[in-house]
Amino acid sequence: MKQIDPDSVNVILATDCGSTTTKAILIRKVDGEYRQTHRGEAPTTVEEPAADVTLGVVNAVAEVAEMAGRRLIDDAGRILRPASGGEGCDLYISTSSAGGGLQMMVAGVVREMTAASAKRAALGAGAIVMDVLASNDRRLPHEQIHRIRELRPDMVLISGGTDGGTTRHVVQMAELIAPARPQPRFGAEYRMPVIFAGNRDAAPLVEQTFDESVQLSIVPNLRPVLERENLGPARDKIHDLFLEHVMAHAPGYDRLIRWTDAPIMPTPGAVGNILQRIAQQQRINVVGVDIGGATTDVFSVFDGTFNRTVSANLGMSYSISNVCAEATLPSILRWVHLEMEEGELRNHVKNKMIRPTTIPQTRESLFFEQAVAREALRLAYDQHKQFATTLKGVQQQRTVGDTFSQEASGQTLVDNMKLDLLVGSGGVLSHAPLMQQTAALLVDAFQPEGITWLAKDSIFMMPHLGVLAQVHPEAALQVFRRDCLISLGTCVAPRGTGAWGSPAFRYAISGGGLEEEGALSFGEIKRLPLGLGASARIVVEPARKVDAGAGPGRPLEGELRGGTVGVLLDARGRPLALPDDREACRKAMAQWVRDLDLVPPVPA
Amino acid sequence: MAHAYTPGLKVSPRTRYRCRRILPIKGEVLVRTGQQVDSRDVVAQTFMPGNITPVNVANLLSLPPADVPECMLKEPGMRVEAGEALARTKGIFGMFKSECKARVSGTIESISQVTGQVILRGEPIPVRVLAYLAGRVVEEIPGEGVVLESEATFIQGIFGIGGEAFGPVRMVCRNEKEELTAERLDEGMKGAVVVGGSRMTGEAVRKAFRIGISALVSGGMDDADLRQILGYDLGVAVTGSEPVATTLIITEGFGRIAMARKTFRLLASREGAPASVNGATQIRAGVQRPEIVIPSPAGDAGEVDAARTAGLLEVGTPVRVIRDPHFGMIGVVSGLPAEPRVLGSGSRARVLEVRLESGRRLVVPRANVELIEA
Amino acid sequence: MDKSIFLTVLAAGLFSWGGASPVLAQSPRPPGEVRAADFPNDAGDAVRVEWELSPDDQPQPAERLVVAYEILRREAGEEAFTRIGEETYQTRSFKDDGCTPGASYFYQVVALGPDGARSPAAAAGSPVTPVMQYFDFSQFWFGVILLIVGGSVIYFIQLARSGRELKVRPIAGLEAVDEAVGRATEMGRPCLYVPGILDINDMQTLAGVTVLSRVAGLTAEFDARLDVPTCRSLVMTACRETVEAAYLGAGRPDAFNEDSVYYLTDEQFGYVAGVTGKMLRERPAACFYMGAFFAESLILAETGNAVGAIQVAGTAMPSQLPFFVAACDYTLIGEELFAASAYLSGESHQLGSLKGQDVGKVLGGTLVVVGCLLSTAAVLTDAALLNQVLSYLTDHVLGNQGW
Repeated sequence: MKQIDPDSVNVILATDCGSTTTKAILIRKVDGEYRQTHRGEAPTTVEEPAADVTLGVVNAVAEVAEMAGRRLIDDAGRILRPASGGEGCDLYISTSSAGGGLQMMVAGVVREMTAASAKRAALGAGAIVMDVLASNDRRLPHEQIHRIRELRPDMVLISGGTDGGTTRHVVQMAELIAPARPQPRFGAEYRMPVIFAGNRDAAPLVEQTFDESVQLSIVPNLRPVLERENLGPARDKIHDLFLEHVMAHAPGYDRLIRWTDAPIMPTPGAVGNILQRIAQQQRINVVGVDIGGATTDVFSVFDGTFNRTVSANLGMSYSISNVCAEATLPSILRWVHLEMEEGELRNHVKNKMIRPTTIPQTRESLFFEQAVAREALRLAYDQHKQFATTLKGVQQQRTVGDTFSQEASGQTLVDNMKLDLLVGSGGVLSHAPLMQQTAALLVDAFQPEGITWLAKDSIFMMPHLGVLAQVHPEAALQVFRRDCLISLGTCVAPRGTGAWGSPAFRYAISGGGLEEEGALSFGEIKRLPLGLGASARIVVEPARKVDAGAGPGRPLEGELRGGTVGVLLDARGRPLALPDDREACRKAMAQWVRDLDLVPPVPA
Repeated sequence: MAHAYTPGLKVSPRTRYRCRRILPIKGEVLVRTGQQVDSRDVVAQTFMPGNITPVNVANLLSLPPADVPECMLKEPGMRVEAGEALARTKGIFGMFKSECKARVSGTIESISQVTGQVILRGEPIPVRVLAYLAGRVVEEIPGEGVVLESEATFIQGIFGIGGEAFGPVRMVCRNEKEELTAERLDEGMKGAVVVGGSRMTGEAVRKAFRIGISALVSGGMDDADLRQILGYDLGVAVTGSEPVATTLIITEGFGRIAMARKTFRLLASREGAPASVNGATQIRAGVQRPEIVIPSPAGDAGEVDAARTAGLLEVGTPVRVIRDPHFGMIGVVSGLPAEPRVLGSGSRARVLEVRLESGRRLVVPRANVELIEA
Repeated sequence: MDKSIFLTVLAAGLFSWGGASPVLAQSPRPPGEVRAADFPNDAGDAVRVEWELSPDDQPQPAERLVVAYEILRREAGEEAFTRIGEETYQTRSFKDDGCTPGASYFYQVVALGPDGARSPAAAAGSPVTPVMQYFDFSQFWFGVILLIVGGSVIYFIQLARSGRELKVRPIAGLEAVDEAVGRATEMGRPCLYVPGILDINDMQTLAGVTVLSRVAGLTAEFDARLDVPTCRSLVMTACRETVEAAYLGAGRPDAFNEDSVYYLTDEQFGYVAGVTGKMLRERPAACFYMGAFFAESLILAETGNAVGAIQVAGTAMPSQLPFFVAACDYTLIGEELFAASAYLSGESHQLGSLKGQDVGKVLGGTLVVVGCLLSTAAVLTDAALLNQVLSYLTDHVLGNQGW
């Protein structure tokens, strides 16, 4: 990577090569501040007939150039650098998830310990983890081997054993993988990259086990002791190998790699990067979600710990049928206030699966699709909660006072009460006709507690900013705050449940043009307008046993941020329990739809 | 700026169809360039290395792993039969020797001093690739497979389950609107590719399984029936390896929907001809749709239309609406407003105007139509 | 009743303190009507004799004229009455438990004055024959409670067999077993299991062996090393069987090594020295202490802590629990150890009895709370009704006065 003087950077060009479209954005320094000024997109050109990713990049950049009225491509079809006068850019960066992104297989000794750490390392690096092998995954060796052969990962990560710990298990794992000869997806000449990040004592033995058919790299143990993870070296190695091997074998990437000023990152890795920086800089807990057609990514940073999960088969088009299979139709219909016929819906779902690009034309199909999205997000978040835990296998310190409150390790890190910022992105969230629909989707699916700021990523700019943060963090953070996030508003929801109609909390809001006081009962939700950029103070006085964040029954004072939706006062209870009876549930939902103004006006 | 949104499925009376038939791992190609092959001919074969079975000799004989190699009775690379002794301990003064026997036949792949494991590799598994398409070998990829070519009637379905199948085309419906019901099937259709009109019923599918029909092709089917046939709710449209006796292909979509008239007529015109079908569907980036290929008789000169990858959306282009509320309706584009419009759902999207055969005009989002060939 | 006697004696003592002049001996008047009847709810070997007090036997007399009653008995067919016992003044009954079932007896009661003066004998009107009763109705309430507890055990077993989920609170200590064995696997160190220092006939050792089968199942699955030193030969045999079965159950019979379960010594501190020595040498990463422990508990747990092991302990020894809680990561407290086997096995009869026993505990707890409230209220208000209810509770429900 070449050295960049941050002060001399005025024009930044960033692209994200997705599996279907390549998106380009232009960032310029305006009045001493970095702002995103233009964007453009073009179909990705990794596959036949073009089979050269740079064509799509050039097309997308050309669109930006046209709009910005600035020449960015030279006559030879290369990106013009550095900027001089009204031409070119100072910095060019890119991410990629084309060709299905980075697909990995990981292995460890104990599923909940080193194998989980290895999975975290791979996911954090932006990979899709196809399978996790462990000595206790209850599969017989031949079943594991069969699986290794059947999968065609881009890369294998082996971990296991603390430093000075078990060598036997690690070598056993290597002895299974070596003869199975996993076949890479691309190219016959390609040697499968295998990363070993386990017990350092086992490294020489693992090296002996593998022959020339794989490219083995050894990095420091990702779990040197059970009490601590050291995922950095393994993650970096994954990024390096991603560039050197996987990317290098995808069409056109060799050229793209030479163009960029920073290493190309897998798209989800870049998103994780920017969220981590935001959480760190503002000392907040963040959850981000990107719901796509095939997969849903959930990112979280709680108390400085970053986690990412990919729910591979939860999505809104290719995977819509799987969401229905996993969540079941009745639980999707909980979120629909209209009468719908089940058999017909099933056919609709399957038709969307086989023709994934269609969009809902009627109100009914829009509400149904949003209901599916709620369940997809909820399931993805559940998976995330199960994965984002404290480390397992750690010695506990106890006093006699703990006699009756012995907590096990491996508790989830996700605490909705501590959550400060919830960011949503992805088609169904960003393209919802009404902003309040986006907000309702996020609130229903994630059920934030206490005071939570809701935002959406306007044009899915987070990947670009993630890479930019590596070379120019200041610019990345400025653009993130100014242009990337569209504030939806703030959700206030105390934790606790009660009979519907019984008092939940009282509130008093002042500032930002709002002077409101009132009380809400369980089962109610209220929306108050508070514009973009405005802020207000709120005092919440929860009922007994209801916790707004300061403890059960204790009043809480906090700040509200305005947004396109405003303030949502949610007294529907946490955890949110919808009536089991379909008719009662439909009525409650219909009431909420009215309260939140979720029905778009009839087009003229 | 008239991108084709969903390019639509190919339905072609005569096209030059090429297919690559490749082994999963390197092997032997059995046919030569220029040779004519039949759909059931084996064009390439190889042996997959057998399954491996680890045997923990150290544990079985209560030995430290490091001592395992010297107790081995066989060397790496040697063959062992099931029940044959693999290793024997030295015992005490030549007595109390214990033995460890191989549970499967195979060759010894490796002996580990660290884990005390001996890896046995079982018998090689033969892998054969059939020609699938009756045609001519146009290219030989050494060690991997061949490329076949044939002039054929080629029809893509929208969704299918089950793998490759072969058989003569049999029409059982008078027109494309008739349902494919169980009554229309009989024992004489064993091994045939049976074509129906609109929906195939669950009962018909079960009867087809019983009779041993090679494949059923129809316009649509109900999701409820699909779920019953598979025994689970299909989550992701990646199919092809279902253990079903009959390959099923639907050409239009789920629900009660008639097969496109053109497709139906085309299939009817080839009745009796041997067809190769494949139900494998993959709807991801890089779509794979199920297909029906019917090689044309040699020497039958006819025009061969060029492959169309993406069409243009213009006024007059025939399209099909592929989303409710007008799902399945066919018409021609009668207007392409440039400005996005607000839909009934409240979203703004670019739309187009479709004139149906009945003369009715509809406004639908551009994303919700697919091009069809007139 | 005893209390009233005590008070009477005390009062008598106080009043007699007056120092009245000695009175000449004079025979007291005889007791009133004497009744003898078969003693209820027994094996037919006792008779209850009751009488009315002698008119001279006053509760608080200026001078004590009756100091005792003598009870005499004659079996039908015998000639003379023989003395069979004596009761003090102000007593109205006597239990003769030296009878033969089926024989007939005649009774007499004589009031005794100071200086050995005797009243004329008062006799019971008719002879009495003690008989055996088949049911002891004095234990009526005990039977009721037994039925409730036993019945609920059976009920819950049936419920569990019918496929109903019986919820058992998750026990952190048992959940942590997976984690501890996992830790040992990752660190390439053994798992140490100590089954306590009592023999197999102790309930705690038996309960511990169930946990061992779980631990062994996991070491088999994870392919970790297991180390079980025992201090009783029978415990060793039982543990070996258990471990072998667990390895078989996990599908890894080849990984079972008989020598992983071995005998050290019966000597308490010899055993402890052996185990701790081994701990220091092999540094196990997971230690389990399940069974009966005495003074060695802290020695073991502290050594385990020092070598950095995850430790799970379980014992029903109240005196050792604090040490385990402080030094171990997880502790199964008392009952939890016994509940463990039901929890781990998930078998319907074990889960059912666990639930049934809970009903018994709830019942016991309720009685304690109700009794406390009642007696507090009775003391504060002195209401007769409350006192009656309280005495019914103590004498009948919890005592042996029957229905």
